Amino acid sequence: MPKGEIIAGFLAPHPPHLVYAENPPQNEARSQGGWEQLRWAYERARKSLERLKPDVLLVHSPHWVTQLGHHFLGVPQLRGKSVDPIFPNLFRYNFELEVDVELAEACCAQARELGLVGKMMRNPNFRVDYGTITTLHMIRPQWDIPIVGLSANNSPYYLSTEAGLEEMALLGLATRRAIEQSGRRAVLLASNTLCHWHFHEEPAIPEDMSQEHPKSYAGYQWDMRIIELLRQGRTHEVFELLPSFIQEAFAEVKSGAFTWMFSAMGYPEIPGELHGYGTVIGTGNAVMEWDLTRPSHAVN
Amino acid sequence: MPLVAAVLVPGSPLHLLRPDNPPWAPLANAYHSAGALLAAANPEVLLVYSTQWLAVLDELWQTRARVQGLHVDENWYEYGDLPFDIAIDTTLAAACIEGTASLGVRSKGVDYDGFPIDTGTLVANHFLNPHGKLRLVIASNNLYHDWQTTQQLGAVAARAAEGLGRRYAVVGIGGLSGTIFREEIDLASDHIASPTDDRLNRELLDCLRTGPADRVQTFCAGYAPAARADMGMKHLAWIMGALGDHYRGAQVLAYGPSYGSGAAVVNFHC
Repeated sequence: MPKGEIIAGFLAPHPPHLVYAENPPQNEARSQGGWEQLRWAYERARKSLERLKPDVLLVHSPHWVTQLGHHFLGVPQLRGKSVDPIFPNLFRYNFELEVDVELAEACCAQARELGLVGKMMRNPNFRVDYGTITTLHMIRPQWDIPIVGLSANNSPYYLSTEAGLEEMALLGLATRRAIEQSGRRAVLLASNTLCHWHFHEEPAIPEDMSQEHPKSYAGYQWDMRIIELLRQGRTHEVFELLPSFIQEAFAEVKSGAFTWMFSAMGYPEIPGELHGYGTVIGTGNAVMEWDLTRPSHAVN
Repeated sequence: MPLVAAVLVPGSPLHLLRPDNPPWAPLANAYHSAGALLAAANPEVLLVYSTQWLAVLDELWQTRARVQGLHVDENWYEYGDLPFDIAIDTTLAAACIEGTASLGVRSKGVDYDGFPIDTGTLVANHFLNPHGKLRLVIASNNLYHDWQTTQQLGAVAARAAEGLGRRYAVVGIGGLSGTIFREEIDLASDHIASPTDDRLNRELLDCLRTGPADRVQTFCAGYAPAARADMGMKHLAWIMGALGDHYRGAQVLAYGPSYGSGAAVVNFHC
């Protein structure tokens, strides 16, 4: 069996508004569009994914919050209806997905070997969270690639940002080891928004884009600073700034997916490709790609 | 007086799904006792606030006449499913939504098939409304609301119930101290993880027994951060707001652990 590898990582945020705006048949709610820049960003990411042809997609979602350890979906097929508890008016999605249980078990075992608490979720009635579903739908609406779903342990909130993200880095290392031993060609999806300051009331027409803009100018500036560093491949600097970014921009990367992904990829100092940026109820969202298969990773 | 009962109860599914585990049995038994007390008080409707129904935009209220389904807890899925069939007092819920405008709080109804009712509400409904005869009003925990706002929401709900002539009981669902075990433990050895939390929990319960109401509020302001209390004890604020001048102290039916965190079943004298 050839050695498995991580072929790419995507920053792939999960505002349910994007699914709502697209009007896929799986979602009950109907819209008149909206958030086009972000949806076009995902269209570009979809083309990249098509070219990469991965065996499996791994997604770490901040909306499957676990207290005791890091959990992995462990049922071969899951189906049901996932209604977003925050935006039920927008997201009522009938999902059906295939889980790469073998790889999930390997990730869990590696996590335990590194001293983390890892648990396999075996309940067939489990309702998959909207973060996992939105990210997966937006990156691959065909749902024809098996997935591994990881929970977000609440350690960055329960312990401290630094201690929690250290755990996420270990989880990334465990994920990488499991992928290498599996022989799979894997793509990682970090389901995170950047600046997370948001409006507290929804417009009467949610997709009325005349109401959409960054909630916080300072948060927007932080997003641009981080994105520009990522575009230049200055990963080390980004992670040095991460605690301040999280603190000042209320960034959702605190929940761990971003750190998990970069740790698994070995914190590559390569330029990330920005597919697009946009706000959703005021939060900052970037769709970005790190293609590890490119022959040259020279910084622009 | 249409207010007939008020209880503070835990929202963890562990006490429902593993009631025979020795550290959890007293809480499960007390939960059943609270259910019997409620039945004797004969309310028509339960005014429910659970720390586990999180909202960030607006204050959400369940407005679907009947909510049914099968819920699996995202943390404790291995211990079983939570089937549910709950009737909602939609008229009263609408009155609550209308009533919050006076607080400057925008409210919205939630009426969607498949909406994920939170674990805490389902656990409480199972113990307190085992035959499903009582209708519920269910309010969300908006993360940006503080103690005072939540207290006012409880008062609004109580006024709305009184305005419609309902016999009602108030239910606040949530835990006490928040320190948990972050490693796997032998369930039979569960206990309050932190001795400091244990002391603070007992002081809180003593305070609830005797009051008065302003002392409870003052105590909670210090207790909540010190004990990492569940959502700043906003489920207690809901109860205190609904009780208002009717607060007469309380009886602690049980106190114990929930994987290291604190939990109690408390019956308020009405």
